[in-house]
Amino acid sequence: MESFGYLLHGFETACSGWNLLYSLVGVSFGMFVGVLPGLGPTAGTALLLPLTFGMQPVSAVIMLSGIYYGAMYGGTITSVLINVPGESASLITCMDGYPMARQGRAGTALGVAAIGSFIGGMIALAILILVGPIVASQALKFGPPEYFALVVVGLSLLIGLMGKSLLRGLIAALFGLTLAFVGMDPLTGSIRFAFGQENLEDGIEFVSLAMGLFGLSEIFMTAEENLNAQAAEIPKIQNMMPRREEWGPSLKAILRGSGIGVLLGLVPGTNSVIPTILSYSIEKKIAADPSRFGKGAIEGVAGPETANNAYAGAALIPLFTLGIPSSPSIAVLLGAFIMHGLTPGPTLMQRNPEFVWGVIASMFIGNAMLLVMNLPMANMWAQLTRVPFKIMLPNIMIIMILGAYSINNSLFDVGMMLVFGILGYFMKKAQFPLGPVLLTFVLGKILESSLMKSLTIFNGNFLGFFQRPISATLLIIAITIIVVSIYLGSKDKGIEGDSEI
Amino acid sequence: MKSLEVYISGFFILFGAIIFQLASSMKYYGEYGPGPGLLPLWISGMMVVLAAVNLVAALKKNGKSLADILPKGTGLINVLSCVGAYALFIVTVPYLGFTISSIAMLFILFSRGYTWRRGLCLSILVTGILFFVFGSVLTVPLPVNEFGW
Repeated sequence: MESFGYLLHGFETACSGWNLLYSLVGVSFGMFVGVLPGLGPTAGTALLLPLTFGMQPVSAVIMLSGIYYGAMYGGTITSVLINVPGESASLITCMDGYPMARQGRAGTALGVAAIGSFIGGMIALAILILVGPIVASQALKFGPPEYFALVVVGLSLLIGLMGKSLLRGLIAALFGLTLAFVGMDPLTGSIRFAFGQENLEDGIEFVSLAMGLFGLSEIFMTAEENLNAQAAEIPKIQNMMPRREEWGPSLKAILRGSGIGVLLGLVPGTNSVIPTILSYSIEKKIAADPSRFGKGAIEGVAGPETANNAYAGAALIPLFTLGIPSSPSIAVLLGAFIMHGLTPGPTLMQRNPEFVWGVIASMFIGNAMLLVMNLPMANMWAQLTRVPFKIMLPNIMIIMILGAYSINNSLFDVGMMLVFGILGYFMKKAQFPLGPVLLTFVLGKILESSLMKSLTIFNGNFLGFFQRPISATLLIIAITIIVVSIYLGSKDKGIEGDSEI
Repeated sequence: MKSLEVYISGFFILFGAIIFQLASSMKYYGEYGPGPGLLPLWISGMMVVLAAVNLVAALKKNGKSLADILPKGTGLINVLSCVGAYALFIVTVPYLGFTISSIAMLFILFSRGYTWRRGLCLSILVTGILFFVFGSVLTVPLPVNEFGW
């Protein structure tokens, strides 16, 4: 009941004039980056991150989280209409969404995707409200050793993001950790690895890293392919609702998708592609006639689209309660928390309830806005796929430059973004995953600080971690995950990682 | 020709080795607890080892060469234009100010898809709007020349 009271206060915050506007801007921009193939939610969130610098923390995160879940909705449109996923989580929607569009049922595919996304998002938020405070209160009992062990669990689960090669993923993760060491040591305050650069004494700017690795590298990749690409023909969107006999199977697929999305969202280190693939394969497996899949089965759109949005909502639970990001997009949100002076973790709900509940309430409002944007206004968004990249590219690049500059009014950060952009471009080409770099960069500071404090408590004895029940259990879980993943990785390449990461 | 993976692995080995070398000159464990070199030493060391393993694996297999992976023709010019225009902006902006550098950068990029006249008009228009929005509305102290733009 206490949560319900907080939520009502949250609605008060979220419904204030400016916050409503920021929510609208966030979800609209999210739809925009989702619709545009090439710019994913991570790049989109990173792109607007610098612009929130002068804003209230709650307004900033309302807007940025709107981009995150808005992109999940937007990515569906291009998947269904032109068979090109706007963002990686919508990849699976192409399988049945596009065949539906070719049968003249683009409206129905988009309609059921929007309804499923809305229901999935709502269920995930309900779970967040119910589970979040309980997890946070338990996590309050954590000391530095438990926190260290928890971060290690998160890092071990990162293996889910490793893409095709575990080895390349691990190198990327270690690279991100190394970058996190640049700047001030958390215990002694001494400056490390700054190479005499005053600009590096406070560490590498997160925005430069995120926008360079994800945004700029993606621009370079797209530039080499389709700068002068002709706009695709868009099928007509009509009859947004499923047929009467389709409601039953669609709703069942939506409920299953919600469950899958929520469960996987709770696990740090997964990514938004996995729940969609899992949902699709389950729908296909339990279908009376699996041969319909790939030819326009409505459950093949409803299930994965719901799972994708339920995942997006549930992935906020580890962020709000433990301060652990579960995907690169959430890592950018975590970066926003830190940039706005908030300490992510279990104390966040206690110390900043108006912030946490304001953001949660804004998501209810944002999801409702997105439902309206996706049902009656789907045609308008579909037209965006016709905007040529040759006009988008220069505009996005100069806005990114201004964004990186405006964080510290520093051209050094702009230069660093270019360096990371080029590095990200070549890493993508060589199939090194980028997600682990960003996630370990964010987790690196928490990891080092909790390790240093723990070792001080244990007088340098590493075995001290195994003398405390919670940290011991968590470390054993982490070791098990790593061993099992290496074993499975050596036997089977498994699900390919998120193309965006 | 060596595969791109070889070069990237080489980069990680070099980067890791530099950090390892620097970390080894820092305190590993101090009087009051762990020193600033402890974790960087381990992490960079592991990175060097794993990148070396990847390098050996990349050398053994017949991976795609740089020439196979890098774009050709128009694609290559597009990417080089993006990098070149960006670099030009960074180099010139402290001397020429935001507006001129931004127009020059945008002109290069717009010229890839539009005629030079249209490209120039679009560059001036976009720069003007952004100069107003960031400089006046968001009050970001943009780098300017002696004329204030």
